[in-house]
Amino acid sequence: MDKAVIVDMNHLTKMFGGLCAVNDFSGHVKENQIIGIIGPNGAGKTTILNMVSGICPPTSGEIIFKGKNLCGMEPHKVNQMGIARTFQNIRLFEDMTVLDTVMTAYSWRAPYNPIETLFSSPRVARFDREIKEKSMHWINRVGLTEQAHAVAKSLPYGMQRRVEIARALASEPLVLLLDEPGAGLNQTEVQGLVDLIQDLFSDLHLSIMLIDHRMEVIMQLCEWIYVQDFGKKIGQGTPEQVQKDPLVIKAYLGEDISNA
Amino acid sequence: MSFILTISLSIAAYSIAVLGTFMLTGMNGLFSLGQAAFMGLGAYVSAIMVVNYNLPFALAVLIAILVAMGLAVLVGFATLRIRQDFFALATFGFGQAVTGLMTEMVNVTGGAMGFSNIPRLTTPTLAFTSLAVAIFFVWGFRKSHFGKDSLAIRSNELAAKVEGIDVFKHKLTVFVLSAAFAAYAGVLMAFHTRYVEPAMYGWIASVTWIIIVFFGGRDSLTGTVLGSIILLAAPEALRFTTAWRTLIYCVLILVIINLRPRGLFGTWELSLRPILNLFKPKKHQEVQ
Amino acid sequence: MQVMVLLQQVINGLSLGAVYALIAVGYALVFNVLKFSNFAHGGVLGISAYAGYIVANQLHWPLIPVILVGILTGAVVAVLVELIAFRWIRLQKGQLVYFFVTSVTMLMALEQVLIIRFGASFESFPYTLLKVKVIHLGELTVSITYLLSLVLTIIAFSVLLYILKKTKIGIAIRAASNDLVATSLMGINVDQIIVATFIVSGLLGGLSGVLYGISASLSPQIGQIVIKGFIASVLGGLGSLKGVAIAAVALGVFEVFLVATIGSGLTPVVIFLLMVIFLLVRPQGFAGVSFTDKA
Repeated sequence: MDKAVIVDMNHLTKMFGGLCAVNDFSGHVKENQIIGIIGPNGAGKTTILNMVSGICPPTSGEIIFKGKNLCGMEPHKVNQMGIARTFQNIRLFEDMTVLDTVMTAYSWRAPYNPIETLFSSPRVARFDREIKEKSMHWINRVGLTEQAHAVAKSLPYGMQRRVEIARALASEPLVLLLDEPGAGLNQTEVQGLVDLIQDLFSDLHLSIMLIDHRMEVIMQLCEWIYVQDFGKKIGQGTPEQVQKDPLVIKAYLGEDISNA
Repeated sequence: MSFILTISLSIAAYSIAVLGTFMLTGMNGLFSLGQAAFMGLGAYVSAIMVVNYNLPFALAVLIAILVAMGLAVLVGFATLRIRQDFFALATFGFGQAVTGLMTEMVNVTGGAMGFSNIPRLTTPTLAFTSLAVAIFFVWGFRKSHFGKDSLAIRSNELAAKVEGIDVFKHKLTVFVLSAAFAAYAGVLMAFHTRYVEPAMYGWIASVTWIIIVFFGGRDSLTGTVLGSIILLAAPEALRFTTAWRTLIYCVLILVIINLRPRGLFGTWELSLRPILNLFKPKKHQEVQ
Repeated sequence: MQVMVLLQQVINGLSLGAVYALIAVGYALVFNVLKFSNFAHGGVLGISAYAGYIVANQLHWPLIPVILVGILTGAVVAVLVELIAFRWIRLQKGQLVYFFVTSVTMLMALEQVLIIRFGASFESFPYTLLKVKVIHLGELTVSITYLLSLVLTIIAFSVLLYILKKTKIGIAIRAASNDLVATSLMGINVDQIIVATFIVSGLLGGLSGVLYGISASLSPQIGQIVIKGFIASVLGGLGSLKGVAIAAVALGVFEVFLVATIGSGLTPVVIFLLMVIFLLVRPQGFAGVSFTDKA
């Protein structure tokens, strides 16, 4: 019943200049578990994901994955170890079709060197064929089969999100980090996305770290939730526990309700 | 050798350097203002090896290219991790340092007076075959995952990093390859014109190659090759002074970037497929 | 006596460094707003230097008007460069590479204009431009052109500081340096700010061009000293104008000593190595404002 911890974050702190973006955050993701981090803007949610994915190394603390400390490891190394992510503000490549975009996630596995491309060696062609097939599989998986040869950036916003997810899946990760996947989507699109994440989660035996400020996304998906406010962790628990926590309601939910 | 052939040889040699710039600046958005210095290195090293040390031509070529690649590794290692502006700046400094050394080391290089009496070893066959191989190489490079990685890094470096691409290693690879191209072009030129001097390898030459790439279109290999032939041949036909020629290049590229930023050819590529398809049996065509 | 030679060199270095500081700050101003390296700044200072040279040599104008002509030319050329090379790309939201290409192209174009008009040779300002050539401070003989560079640079920076700190347009420029998009959202006219930035940068560039022409040398390639300004801004850390100015002065002194000890041929080699080592050790510059991509 009890699952093993796969990513263990201990006492993570990130300072930008004199500003403390994340203050002593500890938490973990278990195998085949979805955890969520919620909190208002400026709570340091994205910074936590950035630390885990190697984009901004923490000022102090450690992130243990597969028995190794990820702190100070470059982003591509983190990815190659098995952690992939998406971005809040979608980051796709200019002019590239959906297929090409997803294929780039396999690039680092290429078994040949640049000189071999001169001879267009069979290895080059074979590798290209293989990753095309694998990439198409992920594109089908996120439901973009029709759009595989369209330029990714020309697609509607909701589809662009799916391209990013397909690209992240093509890294064949153990852990998936999703940074506000619901941002900028309408109600139907959000529900479609929640279903997709749920499907991927149960089919692929993934561990997922999810950030969102939409309660419905987090509450539907997450098994465990961390609540951040002004860089500090103010609570954690199951969705039911978090919803009842008076501190959380005051800092976050209360604000949301009064706004609505 | 006839005038036309002489000119064609120079164009072939310079086009190889331009192809290096196409990989570096066109595909990867890295601006090297010291590319011409690599050309100079190739020219001087090979010429000195052959003239002063009687080394066989092929070996001299190999040494010249390796020297250029080695220096590219050093310069790239120091500068490719940081902002692209700094890379441009550092390569500019590198170019000045190299031409400075060429001028200073009079007893080896002949200083500002140049280095002459180089045997004419660049035959038309060698030059044109080299160009063909270079084009073929860049085509294959672009078609492989390196091409997609280049575009990915150019348009969103962070996204490329988090999907596992070692961006630094990729840039270093491309920079070293482009240096090798420039150095080889330098060898061909040195053994074609039989004379080299430091002034040939200043930053203006590097910028001219960048201009050629953006003229033809930085996303089109066809455009780069055709642009290179057009822009290198035109001044010979029209007989402008160097200053006027350079000024006309500048005006041309300003107009193109303002009106048609993707270059004359955009993303268009010459393709052999329509021709090949003519020879295919009808039913195979239907499959696609 | 050795001490005197040394002191002499320090003063030479300071005046060269002052000119570099003018270039570097003019460059950093544009960089901070538009976030690209404006190589065309070199062309601006080249044209300004020659404009000063023309009125000094052919119209026999005295020193102060000559310098003013240089400064104003700088502003006019800088605005023209913005219009020709950058405006349209910016309005079309073109990528940074295009700014880079056009700025390098403008530097090259302006240099060619000077070569076509004046030939590739070195020129010098008329000997009569300065009535007094040197002044004696005890045993020390100081060339007046060096003092001129120093004094005018200090004045120029004081005026610049006043503009940036106290005037409406200066405050707008500083806001735009922080965040151009946010500034435009606040209802400030971005085109105006950018033109103003280019004017200020052009005024500094014009001054640096004339001063370099008078005190050092004048040739169509003069624009290339803009690189020294860039190096200084990188060493100083682009975000901080003060850091940039200090690094520029240090670079000037260092260069004068290098030329005196190892000769002008090897100086660029040493400066390049120094720059590379520095970038390896401290890529964010002395003042340490780094630009990182935000996730």
